[in-house]
Amino acid sequence: MKKITVFAVLLLAGVLMVSGAVAQKAPVLKIGINAEITGDIPKVGEATKNAAQMYVEDVNKAGGIEVGGKKYRLELAVEDNEAKAESAAKAATKLITVDEVIAIVGPQASKQAVPAGEIANNYKTPMISGWSTNPNTTKGRPFVFRACFLDDFQGPALAIFATDEYKYKKAAVLYDVASDYPKGLAEFFKKDWEAKHGAGSVVAYESFTTKDTDFSSQLTKIINSGAEFLFTPQYYNEVPLIVQQAKQLGWKKPILGSDSWASDELVKLCGKDCLGSFFVSHYASAGAKGATKEFIDRYKAKYGAIPDDVAALTWDAIGLIGNGIKNAGKITGDIKKDREAVRNAIAATKDFPGITGTISFPPGSGDPIKCANIVKINDKGEFEFYKLACP
Amino acid sequence: MSTPNDIPNRPGRRLRLWRHFQLVPLLGWLAGLLAAVSAEQFVGLELAHLVELPRIPVLFGFENALKRPEMIPGTVLYILAIYLAPTLLVGRVLQTPANRLAGVLARNWPAVSIGLHLALLYAVLHLWSDVNDYRLIVVKITLIAVMVTLSLNVINGYMGEFSCSHPGFMALGAYAGSVVTIALFTNSSLFGKALLPAAIGPYLFPLALLAGGCVAAVGALVVAIPSFRTRGDYLAIISLAFTFIVKSLIENVEVVGGPRGMSGQPDWSTLPVVFACAVICVGVINNFVRSIYGKALNAVRDNEMAAEAMTVNTQHTKMVAFLFSAFWAGVAGVLFAHVLRYVNPGTFGLQQLAEVLAMVYFGGLNSVYGSIVGAVSINMLSEMLRPLEIWKWIFIPLLLILVMIFRPTGLISFKEFDPFRLIQPKDASNAKRRS
Repeated sequence: MKKITVFAVLLLAGVLMVSGAVAQKAPVLKIGINAEITGDIPKVGEATKNAAQMYVEDVNKAGGIEVGGKKYRLELAVEDNEAKAESAAKAATKLITVDEVIAIVGPQASKQAVPAGEIANNYKTPMISGWSTNPNTTKGRPFVFRACFLDDFQGPALAIFATDEYKYKKAAVLYDVASDYPKGLAEFFKKDWEAKHGAGSVVAYESFTTKDTDFSSQLTKIINSGAEFLFTPQYYNEVPLIVQQAKQLGWKKPILGSDSWASDELVKLCGKDCLGSFFVSHYASAGAKGATKEFIDRYKAKYGAIPDDVAALTWDAIGLIGNGIKNAGKITGDIKKDREAVRNAIAATKDFPGITGTISFPPGSGDPIKCANIVKINDKGEFEFYKLACP
Repeated sequence: MSTPNDIPNRPGRRLRLWRHFQLVPLLGWLAGLLAAVSAEQFVGLELAHLVELPRIPVLFGFENALKRPEMIPGTVLYILAIYLAPTLLVGRVLQTPANRLAGVLARNWPAVSIGLHLALLYAVLHLWSDVNDYRLIVVKITLIAVMVTLSLNVINGYMGEFSCSHPGFMALGAYAGSVVTIALFTNSSLFGKALLPAAIGPYLFPLALLAGGCVAAVGALVVAIPSFRTRGDYLAIISLAFTFIVKSLIENVEVVGGPRGMSGQPDWSTLPVVFACAVICVGVINNFVRSIYGKALNAVRDNEMAAEAMTVNTQHTKMVAFLFSAFWAGVAGVLFAHVLRYVNPGTFGLQQLAEVLAMVYFGGLNSVYGSIVGAVSINMLSEMLRPLEIWKWIFIPLLLILVMIFRPTGLISFKEFDPFRLIQPKDASNAKRRS
């Protein structure tokens, strides 16, 4: 019984201590961040967190977002999803039901974004993934959006670029058959290229498996096929190996890539072999103008690194949410109604001036309409904006 | 669950305090926990506001306290008032009637008694996870982890071989079960229109579970036939290869979505379903390892030649155990796929393997208790410490290293799990005999 007395006293003391102070509740809106902070791709999580923090600081410095004549400050609730599907689902549930956020940014990678999107949609909470390109992330889910273009869009963009710029007719493709993203991209590109130049115009369509490091047999086939350029939609850590081996085997024609090339590491690993190549990207850091340049300069000053595409897309994703909150009409305090209002405002987005392009959502879809940037790796090894490709 | 078995070894004051609760039977503790979670349902939010917490602490307050240390006193008060006090109080008050009831039931209808205990446990879990959906998904994933851990323990603990193929079995189960439910009961882009009305789906879900388990068991044959001809590290290598083969296979089969994965599973992994599966799994595996097969399995582990000489059919024993273990991993895979409602082959890779192995070796080899403790503690820890981000991955491995140094076979290893002894009432003579 002694223990119970101790409890009672403790409890009473606690109650007395806190009952005097009633918390002042400033109007705050919470935005959830569901990011890959640990696990396979920690750089992605870091960039997501940095960009989102910068945005929130900006908004709060200006006094908050004005909705219905009242200013609301923003607050971030950051959850780590460990780059695992089940953790992403748990993190999304936690953000929605425990932290009661009004909207969520992320997860970025599709493996996490598909299950998290399911949960966000079930709880009717708006979610914007910056980077996920799997169609299933947003398909049939009115509450889930993305800030980037889809895989099936990059294929046509590149096909238009290669046709218009160089009048090429024969293409070669080298891709990783075991990885969702490169495989999808390779298929879309092949379909589009053959639609443009007739069946058989993709003269070599070679594949390998994740973590392969020797591509000489595939590359030899490609070189002998008479292709005019090589398209390889691989990640930045694999591209240098492919490009270097291709050059060693005597390939002198252009190599084109996808948005997965966009990382500072690429040029560091690849050296001068990659200079002069082109790839499709969400944004380009060198040669940027206006708001994009301002973002890059400030990010660099704050975090000491040039923002990669994840940071830029996160900035746009959270910007879309901010814009949605601003246009929601009124914040009622009933989180369910507010989420619905923000969702409707995001879905109605027209010509939002993002730093990765002007973003609009077509009716009934969470996939934005925007143009692709074609980026050139210039002689200094920087990613330089080359031209826009709008299919 | 707090069982007072080892209490008499503890010194001084703690012992004196504990003496009041020494005779509370398991039934009493469960009733106490039920009182605690009910209290949380009714007055949890008010109490949380009273101690200046913005809301009910979801996972014992870790998620708040780690980010905002000023909340620690409030959280501690909350835990004491909502969980500890009602549990101890109700447990103590109900001690006599609970003992009497447990005694009558254990003597006359032990099965009813087990059912009552399980019903109480379910009620506790149900009420606790009813407060917040985040708790619900954590409980479901944890129960599934218990199943996977226990099934791996059959191989790595009871049989003493080192198998790395459980992610592969889970993947096979997850995909087989998903194909069954998606093709039969939902309109999907992969398989077209539903073949059966969705309304009868939940009743036929056990069939999907069974299908997942059987496919995994058939997959286990592929590993078992070549690797059980020899002894030693071969199984580890072949089973590791098997995990990679399954992953590559699924990545290359377009029908099930390839590397993009498969989504749109119906939401049938509810808490009652997962709880029932976990209970059946623990019960069946516990009976298996305590049966003559289990003893034969231990004999094979300790010395295969001697076992053979003692007329144990070692080939047969190993094969049965391996397929049996794979079956349960497959069932767990089906449940997992229907909790997330999305599967992709990347989920069932080396990271998954490392986690399951960690749970088995942390909890304890050759022990049903150990698997439950290992799976629950690793899952809860990793959930509660999530706010620490990268430090979590330093803390948990450190803990594993410490366990391996001080208890090389895991926390609770080589301990028999006897449900019929657990439900016995506790009287004074019983307690004295133990001490």
